[in-house]
Order: sequence, then C-alpha cells, then structure tokens
Amino acid sequence: MARTLVVAGYGMVAHRLVERLRAGDPGRRWRLVVLGEEPWPAYDRVSLTSCLEGRDARDLLLAGCEPLRTPRVRLRLGTRVVRLDRRRAQVVTADGDVWRYDALVLATGARPFVPPVPGRELPGCFTYRTLDDLEGIRAAARPGDPAVVIGGGLLGLEAAAGLRALGMRPQILEQAPWPMPAQLDARGGELLAGLVGARGIAMRCGVSVRSLRAGPGGRVRSVGLHDGTALEASLVVFASGVRPRDELAGAAGLATGERGGFLVDEYCRTADPRIWAIGDCAAAGGRPHGLVAPGYRMADTVAAQLTGGAVRPFGGADLSARLKLAGVHVAGFGDTHARTAGAVEFAVEDLRERRYAKLVLSEDGGVLLGGALVGDTAAFPALRSLVGKRLPGSADALLSRR
Amino acid sequence: MRAGIVIVGHGPAAHRLVQLLRRYGYRGRIGVLGAEHRPAYQRSLLGEVLGGRLRPPALTLPAVAEGADVRDGVTVTGVDRRRALVHTDDGGSHPYDTLVLATGARPHLPDLPGLRAPDGAPADGVTALRTLDDCLRIASAPGTGPTGAGKGGTQGPGVVVLGAGVLGVETAVDLRGAGHDVTLVHPAPHPMENRLDAPAGLLLTERLERLGVRMLPGRTPLAYRSGTLLLEDGGQVPARHLVVCAGAVPETSLARGCGLAVRTGVVVDAELRTSDPRVRAIGDCAEYQGTAGGSVLTAWEQADVLARLLTGGRARFRGARSAVRLRARGIDLAVLGGPDAPGEGHCADEVVTLMDRTRGRYARLVLREGRVHGAVLLGLPRAIAAVAQLYDQDLPAPSDRLSLLLGTPPADDRGGPAEDDVVCFCGGVTRAEVRRSWRDGARDLAAVAAATRATTGCGGCARDVLALGGGARSGAVEPVDGGPRRLAGLLGEGGA
Repeated sequence: MARTLVVAGYGMVAHRLVERLRAGDPGRRWRLVVLGEEPWPAYDRVSLTSCLEGRDARDLLLAGCEPLRTPRVRLRLGTRVVRLDRRRAQVVTADGDVWRYDALVLATGARPFVPPVPGRELPGCFTYRTLDDLEGIRAAARPGDPAVVIGGGLLGLEAAAGLRALGMRPQILEQAPWPMPAQLDARGGELLAGLVGARGIAMRCGVSVRSLRAGPGGRVRSVGLHDGTALEASLVVFASGVRPRDELAGAAGLATGERGGFLVDEYCRTADPRIWAIGDCAAAGGRPHGLVAPGYRMADTVAAQLTGGAVRPFGGADLSARLKLAGVHVAGFGDTHARTAGAVEFAVEDLRERRYAKLVLSEDGGVLLGGALVGDTAAFPALRSLVGKRLPGSADALLSRR
Repeated sequence: MRAGIVIVGHGPAAHRLVQLLRRYGYRGRIGVLGAEHRPAYQRSLLGEVLGGRLRPPALTLPAVAEGADVRDGVTVTGVDRRRALVHTDDGGSHPYDTLVLATGARPHLPDLPGLRAPDGAPADGVTALRTLDDCLRIASAPGTGPTGAGKGGTQGPGVVVLGAGVLGVETAVDLRGAGHDVTLVHPAPHPMENRLDAPAGLLLTERLERLGVRMLPGRTPLAYRSGTLLLEDGGQVPARHLVVCAGAVPETSLARGCGLAVRTGVVVDAELRTSDPRVRAIGDCAEYQGTAGGSVLTAWEQADVLARLLTGGRARFRGARSAVRLRARGIDLAVLGGPDAPGEGHCADEVVTLMDRTRGRYARLVLREGRVHGAVLLGLPRAIAAVAQLYDQDLPAPSDRLSLLLGTPPADDRGGPAEDDVVCFCGGVTRAEVRRSWRDGARDLAAVAAATRATTGCGGCARDVLALGGGARSGAVEPVDGGPRRLAGLLGEGGA
C-alpha cells in the first residue's frame, strides 16, 4: 500500500524532488501531496528578470500543470502550511486542511530580508523573489523615473537590470565598498561596477539607507542615506538577501541553524527520521546555501533515500557559479576569497578589454584553489574543473584561453 | 685660454659629469666647487653608516680624472652672468664658458614648533637627514646609542624617525639594525604612500614591525617639546633624538640670486639649459617638465646627456625612468615607474597582481603592450631583478607572468632553460658563464662571483648559481651523497 509523502512548498527544489520521485519510483510506493504557497506551480526563479525583459511568465513554469494530471500527485496551490504536528505526523494548512504524512519534506524556501528602515512598507516598495513581486514592479514602473535597488549582490544586480529593461533609471546601493562582496575582491567589484555603470545602472557603494520618504500621493518618493544624501526614487526594490523560512520549526520542536534554516544532517534529514528539509530552508552543514544548485543536490539525495536508489550524502555545496548579470559575465569558483592557509592570489586585469581574472593558488603557485572572473568567463569551465589540481600549464595561458 | 666648465656642487651628479666629460674626450678646464668639507661620496650608502656597517671613508667616490680642479668646502656666494664669473666665499672668482649648477637639494624641515633653533637651523636633538655629517651627528648624539639594556630591560626613549618615505623607512631599518630603539611616525595611512598602493603599504608596515620598528602610521606630528614628539591626536612619543625625513627641497638660492627661472627647481629644457643658455643644471636641483629631482639614476642620466652635449654630441634628456630600490636590510622592495604608474595610467593596458599575505609578498605589474610600464615588488627578490631588467631595457615581459613574479621557471617552457639565459640579472651573467666558472675550478659562490660577478647585485640568483655548480661538478668532481640533488635539497629546492 502506498505511503504518503507530503512536500511543504513548491519551488524549484521541490519540483526537482517530485520529478525524481516520479522517475525513481516505478513501483508507486509513494503518493505525493505537494502544498505550494504561491498561486503558481514551480517556476524558474533564477530567470525571473527575463519576464521584465519581455518574456511571458508562463514560459518560466517548470512543468505547467502536468503534476496535477497525475493521480499519484495531489498539488494544492495557494496553500500555506501553518503547523507541523510531529506526534500525529500531520501538517495543517492555513485553510485548516490536515494532511497526514509518512514522510515529510520541508521545501519552504526563503523570504526576502527587508532591513528595518522606516518607510519600508510604502507603496512603490518591492521585494524581488516571486512572479507576484515582478508583476507588481511592472505595474508600478514609470519609464524615465529614477529607481533605487537596495543591495548590490547577485539579486540586486538582477533587479537593477530588470528595472533598466522597464525603462527606469536604477541606482544600486550597497553597504560594502564594492558590489558582490561575497563573490568578488575589491578590484573585481570595482570593474563590475564600472561595467554595469556603462549599461545605465548607477552604483553607490559603502552607503547605508536610513529611511524612505513618501511623496504627496503617499507613494515612495525618496531614499535617505546615513550620510544625509537623499536620492529621488519612485520605485524601490529591496534586494538585501534572503532568510530561510523555518518558522514551522519552533512549535514543532525542530532545531534550526545559527543563521536560520532547518538543521539537517548530510542526508538532509532533521532529527525526526520522517522529516527532511531541502533547498533554501535547509541548514545543511550548519548553514543555508541560497543557490539553486545545492538545493537540487539535496533534492536528489532525499529522492534516493525515499525510493531506495543509490544514496549519496550531500557533501557540502559547490558554490561555483557563472552568471550574466545586467549584461556582464561574472563567475566565481572554489576558494574565491583565498581563505585556504598559505594561499596566494594572482590577478590579471585587461584594461582595454575590461576583464579581470583572479586565481587563488597554493603557496607554490602550482595548485588551483579557486578564483573569480569578471567581464569574460570563457575560462570558467576549464578552471572549475582544475580546482584542487595542479595547473597543466602556466596560469596566464589558462586565463587567456577564450 | 678658455675658461672652461665650472660645476657648482660636488655630489654624485657633479662627480658623474666630470667622469663622463673626460670619457667623452673633453680637454678643457673643469672646476668643481663643493660646499661640503669632504670629497664626493655615495649618498645612497649613507644608511650603511647609520647602520654601523660602513665607516665614512668607504663612501668616498673615486677621485675624478686629472685636470679637474676640485675645491671642497668652498661656498659659492653669487654668479655674475653678464661677466660669466662665479664668486666664492674665500674671495675667489672663477670665470666660466659653461656653468653647471649641481647644487642638489636640502632636507625639508617642516614648520612644526620645536623643530628649529632661533637661527632657523634644526634644534638640539633634531636632525634633518641628508648628508654624511647628519649621519655622524645622529650616530654620536646622546640617547641614540644602541640600548644597553637587554631584552625586557628598561629602555630609555629612543630615536623617532619622522616621515616614512623611502629615506625614512631606510633610516628606521638602519637605526634598528644598529640596535637603536626606533619609532617611525608618518601622517599617511601607510609608508611610501605616493609610491605604494594600499596592499603593499600594509605589508610593508607589517614587515617593518617584524624588524622591530615601532610603527605609528596615520599619526600627524604637532610639535617637538623637551624630548617628546606631540601628536595631533594627543599622543606623545618620547624622542631623545628626532630624525626628520620629510623630503628634500631643491637648492635654488644661487639660481634665484642670479635671476634664472626657478619654480620648485631650476627650470631646464631637454638639453638641461636653464633660462640662460650658458648655465645648465643637473641632479636634484634641476626641474624638467614640472618634476624636480629624482633618484641618483636621474642625476646620472642628466650628467650623461650634458657630458655628450658639452663634447659636441647630440643628446636629449627625456625624463628619467624612475626606479626605487629600497636599501633596507630585511626588506626587498622595488618601485619602478613614476608615482602614478601603478595606478590606472591611461596608457597602460594590463595590470597583474600577486598577493601572498602569509609570506608578506606582493607584486603589482602595470604593463603597456606587453612591456613593463610600472611595478611594485615586495618580498620578491628574484622578480625584482628580472622585472627591473625588463623595465630598464624595455623588453617584452614573458607571457608566464606568474612565474616571472614568483621567480619560478616558466610553466610552458618544456624545452628547459637555454644556455644563454641570464641567471644573474644584476650582473647580466648567463647560465653558460656560470657553468664555465664552475668547470674552471670555482668551488664556492665567492669564487663564482669573482669570476663572473654573478650574485654580486641583489644576490637573488645565489640558489640558481649553486644549483648550476652542482650540475657542472657532477662529472668532474666526486659526487658527495648524490651530489647536485643533495645540494638542491639543502637549499630547500626540489631540484635544479
């Protein structure tokens, strides 16, 4: 007799899990209940910005409504899980529906972090995570007007590119001295700022926001900084990172990580053997990861455990990434910040072509440990595959490969 | 008989000029009027005297060729350009056909309370470092002797060096090396801030601290009062002796006095002519295209241009390629190119950096069309030698920049090193020459050095030279415990 797997959340990682289970469970041992909070089935969140650039939102859907047509999968959209009762092995939704489970996978994702500045709730202020967020931004955008994006990480650059596509004049505010401080060093960050600046996206680094002020109509009108500057903006996007959605943990007595997220072991299992957590809501290795690739690997390991496939532990995240942000190629891999003891950093900047490459190497310069690329990421595949190995030729030759 | 050339000043620029004039065949009279009471000496080695490693006579430059009428301890009081005469304080007057001003520079003494005596000279306990006499005064001043107390013992207030430019850093290290208790006070956030970027500046600060120099960067002095240097932030630094290294001011009073054009220095054109074509100026007192002074290399180049011109040749001074090699034991630091070169010079097209925090090594190469346009190199003696040669001769940099900076063999070089590769960059000695000297019977580095001059510059090639010896001797000499391999192992290298 089929057992019931309840999946709380239906984002990209939950979708991956559902796909794996359908493919890996020919014996139909599992009946799936998928409870998604958003009114949409899973969609490609990574490519969100493309719908501000003219792409139809439906193109982003990962599977359309196909899972709904499978008797094995019951999909409930617009349904939020509000309570987890481990003793009875059931979850309760906001509508009061109760779903009993034999196994539960928490894939509740993350919510945007909005810094506690006065005025954050004003009309014209948005976060940047869901299709609904983007629909709101599209409706509120006024071509030609200045806009402000708070946060100069991956998401902030994405959001600024989206606003630019809507004809606005976005300006990014970042607290660190340069954009993408998590991935880039000072020089790489400066180059990135210059490159996106040339594409109509202004950047102010080393600043923090004090308050947002409303205009006569009650809608946001300006952003005030701690140095006293006021920046005009008819639209503001908060892109200051995300926080795991782990609020079910407290009442259910599940542990969370220091930086939030359901605490799980290397198989993504919580302390309750019937409950797993995957994706942005999971603290695997003690901390949440916030990228889709590690989330997919978590989904794979859980699917394998449920279907009796070959189980491989989630061995920590490879945070390597190659992206195109606001039209600029950026990549980071391995130990980008040279945290390995004794590591040496070697960087080459081509001032004419406007590209920058940094390699982090072992102390003798022979073994590649990581690196970052800005402006040109053609060398990324080769470099990433060499992490932890001795360089086959000169570092310069590897970097100049195009 | 023609009046000939009169040179005012007897520093390295003047000395070089006399040498070159004779070398290029000048047969007329040369008069040299030096204000210091000693013959020309190598100013760049003053630190060796401060550090107690050399005694003053060792700095004396070789006497110039016969025929130069050198008078030291003579001060020029005025120039009568209309009559082409130089007047001196001993009542003499010297006619000239060509007058060369090589009056050098004097140390800048900042306008701080307590630094000057009523007559304007440095106050008691204050030295503005420039001359050999200054060094001797510091060395003999009370309270500046090496601290007698052992480690942990009570130490009296020591020497405070004010200003961490090239001279200040060198002076601090030299004094520390001679056993003094040394504090280096500098208003900017890191030493040599107009030549070094922030990463290099911070590593240099750490290096100086490890050498035992107490570093006070980012601290602005306010006044010097009864043996204490007061700082703007309220700090107080006990200083029995204050050594001021706050830069130099071109010595131009003579030029001003006779109505020549003077800005910061005596203004000269590409032929080193002042506003009076019969008067030339070279060295630290001269200003060319808005830049006054420079390193001793600038002075030498100007001396060379002028010597050629005065012997009927054609030459033009095009501005010196600036190169600073810090002369401080325990610190390998070189800055090539002007102060602006390491920045985003609009003509540069590539910037390569190497940062090794663990070992305090740093490099920044600024390139233009594959050639070195500027460089900062810290803790990388081999790279200093190699890059300096590339810079000096304007040669294309090898494509394997990482190996160039780390001083390792190029990774792409599958064919191995060639026999005509230069091993010792300072001396321009090739692999083949080093091998030959080993084959001809050299048994140690000193013998190779005597035969080839290899290792006598920066010394960074010593390992290579030894390794070559191992290879050369393996056939001729009885191998000891595996010969070359063991030798390389002792040197901490995997193999030659």
